[in-house]
Amino acid sequence: MTRIQGSKPPVKKCNAHRKGGENVSKPAWEFKIVRVALLMALVLVAASCGVGQQPSQGGGGGGPKKICMMPKLVGIPYFNASEKGAEEAAKELDVEFVYDGPTEAKAALQSQMIEQWIQQQCGAISVAANDPDALAPSMKKAGDAGIKTSAWDADVAKDARGVFVNQATFEAIGYELVDVMAEQTDGKGKFLVVTGSLTAPNQVAWLEAMRERMKEKYPEMSIASVEPGEEDLQLGIDVTKNYLRANPDTAGVFGITSVALPGAAEAVEQEGLEGEVAVTGLSTPNDMKPYLESGAVEKFVLWNPIDLGYLAVHAANAQLDGELPKSGTFEAGRLGKVKMVAEDEVLLGPPLVFTQENIDQYNF
Amino acid sequence: MSAATAVLRRFKFSREVVLLGVLIVLMVVMSLLSPLFLTVGNLLNTSRFFVEVGLMALGMTLIIITGGIDLSVGSNLALVSVAVGFSYAAGLPLPLAIVFGLVVGLAAGLFNGLFITLLDLHPLVVTLGTFALFQGLAYGLSEAEAVSDFPAWFAYFGQAYFLNVVPGQLFIFIVAVAVVWLILARTSFGRYVYAIGSNEEAARFSGVPVRKVKLVLYSGIGLLVGMAAVIYTSRVYTARGDSGLGLELDVISAVVLGGASIYGGSGTIGGTVLGVLIIATLRNGLTLAGVPSTWIVFVLGVLLLVAVFLNEFFRRREE
Repeated sequence: MTRIQGSKPPVKKCNAHRKGGENVSKPAWEFKIVRVALLMALVLVAASCGVGQQPSQGGGGGGPKKICMMPKLVGIPYFNASEKGAEEAAKELDVEFVYDGPTEAKAALQSQMIEQWIQQQCGAISVAANDPDALAPSMKKAGDAGIKTSAWDADVAKDARGVFVNQATFEAIGYELVDVMAEQTDGKGKFLVVTGSLTAPNQVAWLEAMRERMKEKYPEMSIASVEPGEEDLQLGIDVTKNYLRANPDTAGVFGITSVALPGAAEAVEQEGLEGEVAVTGLSTPNDMKPYLESGAVEKFVLWNPIDLGYLAVHAANAQLDGELPKSGTFEAGRLGKVKMVAEDEVLLGPPLVFTQENIDQYNF
Repeated sequence: MSAATAVLRRFKFSREVVLLGVLIVLMVVMSLLSPLFLTVGNLLNTSRFFVEVGLMALGMTLIIITGGIDLSVGSNLALVSVAVGFSYAAGLPLPLAIVFGLVVGLAAGLFNGLFITLLDLHPLVVTLGTFALFQGLAYGLSEAEAVSDFPAWFAYFGQAYFLNVVPGQLFIFIVAVAVVWLILARTSFGRYVYAIGSNEEAARFSGVPVRKVKLVLYSGIGLLVGMAAVIYTSRVYTARGDSGLGLELDVISAVVLGGASIYGGSGTIGGTVLGVLIIATLRNGLTLAGVPSTWIVFVLGVLLLVAVFLNEFFRRREE
């Protein structure tokens, strides 16, 4: 670094300077300008401190109530559906409503937005968390600032939010899946389950509920095998096809992720087994529409994201009014009485069963 | 020529002054859009979010001045975050885990530097490769899991406030700005950086240790990324493989907005700091004004295009 000490290196300074003798003074000028610029910025900031008043926190000061709601990300059909329901509720309740989220499903972007919402004097903040722990610090901060906090769709760490608006319990989903399947197979038979991964906690819990339901209500039904589809459509198709070829006595297939179900349906269709092997599971209407039309799938199960958004706003509003009970039920507009399943958890209600008749009402 | 006209001319031509003007105009506009913008609480709180990008932008400025680029900073941040979190989860005491993370960041930068200098490859190609490499490593090592059971004191780096309002990391940033500014503007090393960017061949023949300088620069940004990663991890209190994803574009945007030429040879720390502040102001102000985040991204794009246009305009006038 100091090999050519003494002699100045032949630097063409920033190539920003014209030739000539005044070149010598240029760098000094430049530094001074920058310094002046920074100083001015500082002065401006300092001056603004005098002008701006500290924001008074909380929305409860007689002004209109303000509810701020955040999905995992914006711009996908599922969360657009939730937004629709949320807007509807906000209009009914006549509250100021903000719905925004990051353009990528990242927790760090969410926590940044929550912090800005704290400044923005939201009365209540409700988030669908991309990571339960990463959002905890900012949600706690919101709580400390007097803001009512809640989570919907995907929970935040328990101690960092007031209430969780749960779309469906694992039990309700598992039971409904088995009931729908039992209708089609007369309550008996051996079944294949295609999952996303064998370790995903929600899927493990659904499976457990499914087994429980079979044992209690349909003793002639049993799960013969559980195969992971790794959230890969092609893999799901192959896994199902191979299994059905090897086990022709299979009565039906459950696909319990939004990728596994279309995969299973596609496989049954490709094997020409529509009507012989029943298929049901969890997925979204847009993914499943073709299979309902072809007849490969008769019914499938999910919750209603429109109602979920609607309920989340009602829950936040009840928090603001201090009317959210610790147990029992509370009134949530057109949804009627909604159950508190725990002192800090609201449940949307039974899952929604999609059929040929109702599927056109949903676009997500 | 009198000093007064010289001052006038400098004012006319200085990018920093134009940028400062832009920043002031933006602040006025934002405070009109939202009464909450121009408050001590908000302005100081905003600084919590630009420090990470700002730290990396300091190193990036020097690299871009040499005509290079580092696309791997976001992935490197994820790698350091995972290194800190998972070495801690594996039983390493947290202070050591933090040091380990900084070493990982530095090593990753050094790795870039060695590739670029020893094989004489273009930094764009090398860091495009390591962008994927570090990201993959971060995902692979963490197995897409997250670590967040840090002790309470870890929050100090990213969540602490002095006097209740001043975020702690702002001090780290101010010190880093001063140090990097001194290096670039006041040392012969800084001269070498400009020399390499103006004409690498000429610099080499004039005895500038081009390789050494580059090696130091890429390692240096690795260390800055390491610091940013510790702050980031502490701020979100979680170490995961997708931390910092896409931040490299924010960093490069700030530097380019600050007037550094992507062709090398020009750029200043003052400009970059103003670039960072302008982007942060815009993001924060528009969010407070209730503009949806999708449109904020659009506005940032417009701003960048205008900045590139203005920079080119200045450059031609100067020549």
